[in-house]
Amino acid sequence: MNQWKNFSKGFLKENPVFVLLLGMCPTLGVTSSAINGLGMGLATTFVLLMSNMVISLVKNQIPDKVRIPSFIVIIAAFVTVVQLVMQAYVPSLYKSLGLFIPLIVVNCIVLGRAEAFASKNNVVSSAFDGLGIGLGFTFALVLLGGIREVLGSGKLFNITIYSENYVTLLFVLAPGAFIVLGYLIAIINRIKKN
Amino acid sequence: MSNLLTVSPSPHVHTDDSTRKIMYRVVYAMIPALIWSVFVFGLDALRVTLIAVAACLAFEYLIQKYLMKVTPSVSDGSALITGILLAFNVPSGIPWWIIVIGSLAAMGIGKLSFGGLGNNIFNPALVGRVFMLISFPAQMTSWPSIRSAGVDSLTSATPLGVIKEGLSNGLSVSEISKSLPSQVDMMLGSMGGSLGEVSALLLIIGGLYMLYKKVITWHIPVAVLASVGIIATAFWLVDPQSYVSPGYHLFSGGLMLGAIFMATDMVTSPMNPKGQIIYGVGIGVITISIRMFGSYPEGISFAILIMNAFTPLINTYVKPKRFGGK
Amino acid sequence: MAKRESTFINMVLTLFVVTFIAAAALGFVYDFTKDAIEVAKMKAQSEAIKKVLPEFDELGDVCKVAVASASDSVEVFPAYKGDKLVGVAVKTYTNKGFSGFISIMAGIDTSGKLFGYEVLEHSETPGLGSKMADWFRNSEKPGQNVIGKSPESSKFEVSKDGGDIDAITASTITSRAFLDAMVRAFEAYDVESEQLKIKNTSL
Repeated sequence: MNQWKNFSKGFLKENPVFVLLLGMCPTLGVTSSAINGLGMGLATTFVLLMSNMVISLVKNQIPDKVRIPSFIVIIAAFVTVVQLVMQAYVPSLYKSLGLFIPLIVVNCIVLGRAEAFASKNNVVSSAFDGLGIGLGFTFALVLLGGIREVLGSGKLFNITIYSENYVTLLFVLAPGAFIVLGYLIAIINRIKKN
Repeated sequence: MSNLLTVSPSPHVHTDDSTRKIMYRVVYAMIPALIWSVFVFGLDALRVTLIAVAACLAFEYLIQKYLMKVTPSVSDGSALITGILLAFNVPSGIPWWIIVIGSLAAMGIGKLSFGGLGNNIFNPALVGRVFMLISFPAQMTSWPSIRSAGVDSLTSATPLGVIKEGLSNGLSVSEISKSLPSQVDMMLGSMGGSLGEVSALLLIIGGLYMLYKKVITWHIPVAVLASVGIIATAFWLVDPQSYVSPGYHLFSGGLMLGAIFMATDMVTSPMNPKGQIIYGVGIGVITISIRMFGSYPEGISFAILIMNAFTPLINTYVKPKRFGGK
Repeated sequence: MAKRESTFINMVLTLFVVTFIAAAALGFVYDFTKDAIEVAKMKAQSEAIKKVLPEFDELGDVCKVAVASASDSVEVFPAYKGDKLVGVAVKTYTNKGFSGFISIMAGIDTSGKLFGYEVLEHSETPGLGSKMADWFRNSEKPGQNVIGKSPESSKFEVSKDGGDIDAITASTITSRAFLDAMVRAFEAYDVESEQLKIKNTSL
């Protein structure tokens, strides 16, 4: 039951985007479509899962004072793995996510979980934590990307829903990301209050 | 207003000002320009205005009643002003659904999300306009031609658009001026543009009425117009072939509309004269920078929104001296 | 297991081991994906070429052609069906876009007319400039269609500037940039076709 708690808290109670407000740069930058959100979310989930597991395994071998550089190297290694694999097997997604893939390294969520959770807990808990937070992040990005895609380009997962002549362009541009995120956070707060 | 507890020492002067009265005076001040827009653009102008006003009132009522669960304050006239200003800021040929979306953005995002009248940081009508400009750039920049332009052209560019286009193509000012209306025409209102921005003269008359009725003070409009005028003159004197004369900057586009009706919005502008002048100069400088060096031909709406964001800061640092304070 | 002390030697050793393992792992992954990345890149390019040219079986050698109007050379891909040249794909570009660089694959057939184009890379405003991907190949609107046109038959400039092509609504700058890239493609084609004709007759 405890592991289920580690896993499920990432969706609502400690959702990295809607509640912790971490990782705002990729959240606002790549969510112009649901597919982009999904790709970014899954890439981050993989990095979170792997780095959480590795860090909780080696946490006792690493002296405190070089903790952060070691964690960053581990995270950066996994990010580069993701980058190379995406470049090789899903080049079109890699192209549309662009610079944001290497930027996962500096995503606060990843280092944040390493510091706050993985360096204090065992492997299994850390794995569930990483997976939960990662999927919560993915959920938030897909929701945000989906809403922006429907309003801003009349499509959802690249399937046309209504004519492009009636789209509200603002939502696929940067201001749309801020506006939609603001209202989503308001709605989540309302839900959590009840 | 009258049942507020007054805690200053006597004697008191009672005025019968209320939010409602002030708001309706602003509406009266806009009527000349509105009538002129109907004359220039035909019944389309009236259609756009009515849709915008109806949509703004409806959204304010619905959101306040069903989402915020407070007593709707539709009758205070502020939504009416937002509606008219929104219509003043769009071309007359715009499809009805775009105005409705713009009204929703103005009332929902610009005003009620912040808590309604008095709490909004940004001018709601401008939030709506910028929202529409970014979302529907094609429809927001196809201005129907005015009556005097003849029947063969369906759309015409605004003077500022013509200037920007010409300068970016490397034409000199004297070549561009051939395709521009005369400055007298622009002053009176014979040029392409959004509904309410075409006649500088009628906007000034409306502004003078508001000044007379003490709805606004002179500080903001004068600061905006003076800073635009001075900067434009300076550039024009240095290089008259690359920069148009200040008259074009003063009388074209939404400068008058923005300076008189939108920058002076009580909720979103600083409270005391010194702050208002800082605010006005800021708007003027940003406007002229966008017009001369930016990618949009017109920048007054962005300028006002940017300075709106500075208003709380200005209010904090430019406080009137307390009575008895040093 | 007790936590390791933060002594100097421990720290150096730990960092060394961590970076060493990370580097080794990355080297392995890089080696593993290297070929796949290369293939993916080539595939994207050859698919674009297929879309802009008539049917062909074989691509000739890539030539780099210097054009007068730009400092960089552009890549040209001649395509053959059997021994016959069916057209030339030009990977052209412009820096005049609303957000700068735009890369376009343009296919020109042997009669010197534009057969097709495919926008490879751009950062124009979505919904405005990005419309160029389809705007200029709309066969229902001859005013804006560039397919089947050549610099001899029409002037590759937007109608606002006195040319023969209608610009994208509210995106004149992108339209100008697009046509600038097209003109460059034809320029490269002219240079290249001279050489190819010589080569063809010798075959």
